[in-house]
Amino acid sequence: MKILTTAKKVVDVELTIHVENGAIVEDGLQYVINAWDENAVEATVQLKENNGAETTLVSIGGSDNTDMIRKCYAMGIDNAIHIDDPALAKTDSFVFAKVLQKVYEAGEYDLVITGKQAQDTDSGQTAIILAEFLGIACVSNVIAIEVIDDGNIKVSRLGDLGTEILEVVLPAVITVSDSINEPRLPAMRGIMMAKKKKIQVMDLGALGTSYEEVSGGSLKSEVIEFMESEKRQGGQKFEGDAAEITAQVVNLLVNEAKVF
Amino acid sequence: MAKVLVIADIKQGVLKGSTAELLSKAKAIGAETAVVAIGSNIESLANDLANAGSDTQYIADDASLELFSAGPYASCVVDAANQFEANLIWFGFSESSKAMAPRVAAQLEAACATEIIDVVLEADQIQVTRPAIANKVMQKVKINTERLVAVVRAGAFEATQGITGTQNVVKLTAPARDLKAVIKELISDASGEIDLADADIVISVGRGAKDQAGIDLVKELAHDLGAGFGSSRAMVDGGFMAHNKQVGQTGKIVAPTLYMAIGISGAIQHLAGMNGSKTILAVNKDPEAPIFNVADYGIVGDLFEVVPILQKELKKIRA
Repeated sequence: MKILTTAKKVVDVELTIHVENGAIVEDGLQYVINAWDENAVEATVQLKENNGAETTLVSIGGSDNTDMIRKCYAMGIDNAIHIDDPALAKTDSFVFAKVLQKVYEAGEYDLVITGKQAQDTDSGQTAIILAEFLGIACVSNVIAIEVIDDGNIKVSRLGDLGTEILEVVLPAVITVSDSINEPRLPAMRGIMMAKKKKIQVMDLGALGTSYEEVSGGSLKSEVIEFMESEKRQGGQKFEGDAAEITAQVVNLLVNEAKVF
Repeated sequence: MAKVLVIADIKQGVLKGSTAELLSKAKAIGAETAVVAIGSNIESLANDLANAGSDTQYIADDASLELFSAGPYASCVVDAANQFEANLIWFGFSESSKAMAPRVAAQLEAACATEIIDVVLEADQIQVTRPAIANKVMQKVKINTERLVAVVRAGAFEATQGITGTQNVVKLTAPARDLKAVIKELISDASGEIDLADADIVISVGRGAKDQAGIDLVKELAHDLGAGFGSSRAMVDGGFMAHNKQVGQTGKIVAPTLYMAIGISGAIQHLAGMNGSKTILAVNKDPEAPIFNVADYGIVGDLFEVVPILQKELKKIRA
C-alpha cells in the first residue's frame, strides 16, 4: 500500500495574534505543524507499522517547512516531497487541492490521509475537494482506520448522530480528527536519521504544472482583510463563601442576564 | 436577485432551528428562498419547511437516504441548487455540512467558505466574514465566483419571529448509493439526550470533575435544566466522555443562551468552541483559570461544593 499524507505549517494558535491595517502582524509569530496533520502523519506511520506501507509526506510552503518535514521523517515517514513555489503565496482551497492532485497523480497512491482542517484557516475543504477532483472516495472526521485487504479499509467517523462505520474502496482520501491518536514524540535515533534523509523539493514547473493551471486563472475566493476578533471581556468573578456567591450569581443570571 | 438555497437540518425526523435562522437571513437580504430536505420518510415535513421561511421545497425522500452519506446527500444539494439556480447555497453548522459543502462547491465550481458569520451582497459581489486561527482573528473574504457554498457558524443568524413561506414541493430523484464509501452502521449517541447543537443551555464538564462521580454530579444539573451536556477535551481523552460530547475547535461549536463551564480551565481550543455563547458562567477552583477571562460570571470554588448549591438555587427559581 502506498500512502500519501500532508503537513501544513501554521501559525501557533497559542500565541497572541495582533492585526494592524487589515493584516496579521508577523512580528513575534511562530509557525508549527498543523496539529491535525500531526495526527494524520501518526495515523500513516501506524498503518505502515501494522500493515506495511510505503509512506510519503507532501508539504506545500516555503523553505521554513524543512524542520517540520524532518520531524515527520523522525516520526517514521519514508519519503518527503516539498512543493516550494513563491507563486503559491496566493492560494485558496481549490489551488491547494489542484497541487495535491498533481502530486497524487505522479505517485499512484492507494490512500491519502490529511488532518481534518488547518488551524490557520479552519476551513476543512482541501482534502474533500481533492477527492472530488480525483473522483475517489472520501470520508472526513475519521477517528479509526482499519485495513481490510489491499483494496478496502474500514473507518469510523464522528457524525452528527454518533459514530458512523464505513467500508471504503481504495483509492480514497481520509481526513482525521485529533481523537484518532496521540502523535508520538520522535526517538533520538529517528531524529538523527531524519537529518540525513533527502527531501524532494519541487516548484510547480518541476511538478509538471503552472500557477496558471492550478489556480484556473483566478482564485475562487481571497482574504482581503483581517480583523481582530471582538474580545470577550471577563465579567464579574466571585470569591468567598460558596453558598453566598453561588446565590449571588444565580440572582444575576435571573435579573441581569435574564437567562432564566 | 439573490437566490438562497438552504440545506434543511433534519435530525431523526425533526427539522432543527438552524434552518429557520438561515432562511430568515436570506429573506432579510431580500433573496428568493428555497430549501432542500434529504432523508427517508420526510415528506411530512413539507409544511414545517415552508413555515421555516422557504418558498420552494426540494425534497429527496428515499429509503436509501435514511443514513447520512456525504456523496449522495451532496448530489441532492447540487441537483436542487441547479434546478433553483441558487447563487448562495447555505448549510447550517454540523459535521454533515462540513462533509458536504466542499463536495457541492467542487461540483458547482463555486467558492466555498466555512463557518461564516456574515454575508454581504453588493452589485453581485459576494463578501463573507468568518473567524480563523481558532477564533483569534476575523477575516473578510471576497468571493470571485457567481456562486458561493457556505457553512454558517452556529448562532450567527437569528430566526425572525413570524417568518412565513409558501408550500411548493419539488420532488428530487434519489441519487445512486455511494458504492465507494458504504455506510455499514451508525453507533448512535445515547438517545433521548439533548442535542448540543440546538440546546438553549449547554453545561460542559472538565478536568476539575476528576472522575465519574464528578461527571455524574454535573450531569444531574444538566438533566435538571434540560441542558445539553458537553465536555472539554481532557475528559474525552481521559475516556470519561464520548468524542461527540467535546466542545471546542476540534469538536462541537456551540452558541447557546447560557453556557456553563464547570471545572474547565479554558484552553484556547475549548474557547473557540463556545465563546459565541450569549452568557457564560464558569466554575473553577483556580482564580487564575483563563476561562474567567471570557466568562460573564465566574465562581471561584470547588465544583463539588458549588454544583449542588447551584442546582438547589436554580430549582428554587424554576419551581
